[in-house]
Amino acid sequence: MPQQVPRLIAVFVIAIGTLVLARRFLVPETFGEFGHYRGAAVDSIAARPVKFAGRQACAPCHGSIDAQRLAGHHRDLACEICHGPAASHASAPLSGKPEIRRERALCLLCHAFDPSRPTGFPQVDSVTHNTRIPCMTCHAPHAPEPPVTPRECSACHGGIDRQKAVSHHATLRCTTCHDAPESHRQNPRAVLPTKPTDRAFCGGCHSGMPPGGLIPQVDLERHGQPYLCWQCHYPHFPEAGI
Amino acid sequence: MQGYIYPNEFELQWGLLIVLYPYITGLVAGAFILASLERVFNVREVQPTYRLALLTALAFLLVAPLPLQAHLGHPERSYEIFMTPNKRSAMAMFGFVYAWYLTVVLLLEIWFDYRRDFVRWARESRGIRRWLYYGLTLGATDVSPRAVAFDESAGRWITVIGIPSAFLLHGYVGFIFGSIKANPWWSSVLMPVVFLFSAMVSGIALVLFLYMLTTMFRWRKIDMTCLEKLAQFLFYALVVDFSLEALDFIHRLYEAEESIQILAQMVENRLFLSLIVLQLLFGTLIPLGLLAVFSPGLRKGGFVRASAELKQLVFLTSAVLIQIGIFSIRWNVVIGGQLFSKSLRGLTVYKAQLLGIEGIGVTLALLALPFVILWVLVKIMPPWSDEPAETGSNAPEQPATA
Repeated sequence: MPQQVPRLIAVFVIAIGTLVLARRFLVPETFGEFGHYRGAAVDSIAARPVKFAGRQACAPCHGSIDAQRLAGHHRDLACEICHGPAASHASAPLSGKPEIRRERALCLLCHAFDPSRPTGFPQVDSVTHNTRIPCMTCHAPHAPEPPVTPRECSACHGGIDRQKAVSHHATLRCTTCHDAPESHRQNPRAVLPTKPTDRAFCGGCHSGMPPGGLIPQVDLERHGQPYLCWQCHYPHFPEAGI
Repeated sequence: MQGYIYPNEFELQWGLLIVLYPYITGLVAGAFILASLERVFNVREVQPTYRLALLTALAFLLVAPLPLQAHLGHPERSYEIFMTPNKRSAMAMFGFVYAWYLTVVLLLEIWFDYRRDFVRWARESRGIRRWLYYGLTLGATDVSPRAVAFDESAGRWITVIGIPSAFLLHGYVGFIFGSIKANPWWSSVLMPVVFLFSAMVSGIALVLFLYMLTTMFRWRKIDMTCLEKLAQFLFYALVVDFSLEALDFIHRLYEAEESIQILAQMVENRLFLSLIVLQLLFGTLIPLGLLAVFSPGLRKGGFVRASAELKQLVFLTSAVLIQIGIFSIRWNVVIGGQLFSKSLRGLTVYKAQLLGIEGIGVTLALLALPFVILWVLVKIMPPWSDEPAETGSNAPEQPATA
């Protein structure tokens, strides 16, 4: 046998043996018990100290603030989202008081402009919107309201407004297609604007005129039945295609 | 951002480092396949690049996992893919694909090829180098003709195993993308094959580039027979790669699935520079034209009678352009696949960071690292002999002037 072979066999045996041995010591005993993870991890996670008290723990002492919050737009936020974990405070109220964060960055986590946030969600451009002033100067965090009710739709629907501005529907006003009651401005999530509910609405412009003009024409009887037009064509940017 | 995208698509999860990973593994596979030309297919003309190609493959293979480590974070946990392998996940099997290729293919082949030299260098050196070379022989110091013949034979068999392994390594990377059925830009059975041939193109171009550079810096004369053969194979690989890319493109257009409009918008807008200009024009068509005219790929001696210096310049330019083109391919696959919304209604944007663990700085450092490793490897294990090469129309060597 050539001299190389036993040497290489020795190297590979050592390498594979090390791997087997390492597996013996390093793979946790309960690995694979329930799935591709350490079974005992469930117990060790459950044994970790509880840090959050939950919103129910705050209400008995801070009832008025809790009531104010439940009536406002932040009703779905738990107290500890802004104030941090408070289990120690709940068990010993006089020690370890929760923090009161005043910096803008905390509010901007949810309210900084991000085009992928749901339309109508209150968003601001942090660079231009009252820079350096803490948000709570104008907005009460437990019952946030805009100090001035926005008049233009673009104040809340900036993404749609910018998209529409470069589309073939640029000259249409929002109210051409949407009926937005005044109460929508005060309570935008509870009172929603309307959307066209029949095909004839879009057909008012896109059907019945001679073809070849500036506005694309379709035969409403044959085209895309039984769907509403906006289920296939995005009205704020109709040229995006289907 | 343009049109409508889902909230979780606004930011890209895979950035520059994930572009770098398939680029580097492609270079590894390509360099190894080039080395196998001499060993298995007996293309004697490329013999001067054989060892350089192997060391290049090793240097890049050592760096290949680093972009993944940097992207995922917690490199101290990476050993766990060996400890608790998840056989149902292609990504999780990377450790084994990598270990197989590194240990069973590349290191073994290099060891068999260099063993005789390790013994010689151990005898000629002193001090720590002597022990280093002796250690590298693993104690197998027999250099009798029979033992050397065994090295040669074993090396050839390992290369035979190595070719499908190289296909596995890079085909596997293409498979990871190609098997993501929810993404119309990635989901294609052609993806592993396209990755493989683009890997061969990039590997041959890299070794050609390194061969020219190292020969020039060593004040030696470039073996034109070798260089022209490399250019010829580079041309053939590029033709096949281009054909496969074109086939994939035509297939998508003809199939015209519901994603075709958003993909067309993405190519026309977001990927115009990286796909149309860098990948297609600079990375494929221009090198293809240059190599068709100057390399012996279509006609012996090329279509134009050119001096050796001009040919060298053309081949070097082609190799650099091809590298830019292949990097653009990786960019277009990885970044392109995340730029359009799964709603097929919108496009997002990707802005690479300059600093930070996923930034341009780290990417450049990781791109430079294989060259540093290669420099160290070359210092320890010189891949060339200063005697004139045994084959090819080698001109007499110039004496070193440094």
